[in-house]
Amino acid sequence: MRYQNATAYRFLAPYLLIFSIFWLWPIINSFLISFQATRTVPWRFAPTFNWGRLIGDPAFFNALKNTLLILVIQVPVMITLAIVMAVLLNSPLLKARGLYRFAFFAPVVVGEVAYSAVFRLLFNLDYGIINKLLNSVGLPRIDWFSNVTPAMAVIMIAVTWRWAGYNAIILLAGLQSIPQDVYEAATLDRVSKLKQFFYITLPLLKPIIVFCAVLSIIGTMQLFTEPFLITERGGPGGGTETLGLLLYRQGFRSLNFGYASAIAYTMAGLAIAISLVQLWLTRDPK
Amino acid sequence: MAAVTLKNVVKRFGGFQIIHGADIDVNDGEFVVFVGPSGCGKSTLLRMIAGLEDISGGEIAIGGKVVNDVEPADRGIAMVFQSYALYPHMSVEQNLSFGLRMNGNPKADTERRVKRASEILRIAELMKRRPRQLSGGQRQRVAIGRAIVREPQVFLFDEPLSNLDAELRVQMRVEISRLHKELGVTMIYVTHDQTEAMTLADRIVVLNAGNIEQIGAPLDLYDDPANRFVAGFVGSPKMNFMAAKVVGNDDDAAVIELANHGGARLRKPLSGARPAVGADVVLGVRPEHFFEAGEGDCDIAVKADVAEHLGSVSYVYASAGTNVGAGPEELIIEREASRQRANGDHMVVSIKAGRSLLFDGTGARIR
Repeated sequence: MRYQNATAYRFLAPYLLIFSIFWLWPIINSFLISFQATRTVPWRFAPTFNWGRLIGDPAFFNALKNTLLILVIQVPVMITLAIVMAVLLNSPLLKARGLYRFAFFAPVVVGEVAYSAVFRLLFNLDYGIINKLLNSVGLPRIDWFSNVTPAMAVIMIAVTWRWAGYNAIILLAGLQSIPQDVYEAATLDRVSKLKQFFYITLPLLKPIIVFCAVLSIIGTMQLFTEPFLITERGGPGGGTETLGLLLYRQGFRSLNFGYASAIAYTMAGLAIAISLVQLWLTRDPK
Repeated sequence: MAAVTLKNVVKRFGGFQIIHGADIDVNDGEFVVFVGPSGCGKSTLLRMIAGLEDISGGEIAIGGKVVNDVEPADRGIAMVFQSYALYPHMSVEQNLSFGLRMNGNPKADTERRVKRASEILRIAELMKRRPRQLSGGQRQRVAIGRAIVREPQVFLFDEPLSNLDAELRVQMRVEISRLHKELGVTMIYVTHDQTEAMTLADRIVVLNAGNIEQIGAPLDLYDDPANRFVAGFVGSPKMNFMAAKVVGNDDDAAVIELANHGGARLRKPLSGARPAVGADVVLGVRPEHFFEAGEGDCDIAVKADVAEHLGSVSYVYASAGTNVGAGPEELIIEREASRQRANGDHMVVSIKAGRSLLFDGTGARIR
């Protein structure tokens, strides 16, 4: 038995080694770095230097506000949209189901840079198709990237476009695990399709919806690509700067690794806290 | 309460026809069982009565009203599913009342109906539990309770006992029988288990490959099956079928020679048309209709391969001769326990003409 375990660990050793060096150590080390003043040479231990700055930093609270705003608006909209897409995908009336399933999932596969470039073009002030469409129905053009509110909207639309289909596929799997005869029993009970959705489908789908919501919360807390590429590093004037972007700016532009580490741990802590609250709110009553 | 009438009911899935024109009259208050091997179309037929499957042809009437285009909920039926189909996220009480609540039924009436169902099924102490906290038998009761609260004219059961263990199955069988007496409503029950059919039914409908083979009271089917399929399906253990050839004919009987028993001959009195001399026929004998040597009309010798002793009776699995293209002819012979045979023994048993059935090469009965 002992010998067998030893063999197993020898096989695992290469992975464990790489995991320790490139995952475990950075996680521990960044925690230690967050307690050091890193703008001096050599770095020195100063426990309140970064954490003290964090709780009084307007840039941090701006990024936090932006991130939470996107979280509160975009995640519910996307999950609702994903549920609707999943229900439509699950409809027996749908032809070419495989094609739609692929189409909804495809945005996840598209490269981030390519998709960001396309969204910049779509929302371009002078020749973007969105403004052309607005013009064609008599609405004024919108300067999407020069004002904070439209810029935030573009980010939320982009993130929703990219991830709604992904969540829909997960929800579809959940829908398909609900036995058909439960719906047949409800049909015999004269329960309309709409009531079946609200009283049977949604409650039975709840664990999957919570799972998708937690995944999305974690993803949005780390949001980086879209504000970096689509609204050009959190523009206009920091109006779309997220925590992920602030972390990047502090760590890799200002080379202030101590402060960046403190931000990183705050992001992780918030994601865990919000997810736990979410799980607690949606727990099954015993 | 209502009668259910099926007239030339046909079901096609795409170009594939699976019910070939079913005619069934279920009387008001009757307990009718659809029985047949899996894939015979019995569940489809039940789902067509419920309205969960469309009807490709023919007519279904419930209580004298044609319901072909009536919504399932308006047909006055309630259905109990094989998998129970309980709402997993609701308590037993909510499961029972869900349909009524969704339809705005007055609260007091809903409570009265739920209470009555819980008393009939003795599940009052389970009302706050979720389905996953119940045993199989309890879930089955709740599923039946959900049907009772609808106060339907017709109950439909789709293999309701097949997920239960043997002991519970017997117990629930008795309960469903009791329920039928208590409520006095029409019940249509689908099963592949001929024992369930025999014990529950007022009348049995035997289905095979989308055709109705025979409709009749349980003992009528047992004593007087219309064809070889019904003869083999009803009764446990199965009826034995022995290959034979017609070797003689007279005014009121045919003489047949058993193919695997050394030229043993039986004179079988017949009332209908006599089969031609030389025709291949099959003689059907139930396990309990083998008699001691000399007691019957024709003695045959067999080799006892295995004996199963059940206490009150024993079943001897015996063999004799060789059928063309098959192994030896297998027979199951019921013996009283006191006359057990040891494995491997040779034994002689006797067949009575009046206790055997004759079938032609297509399986139709020769009377």
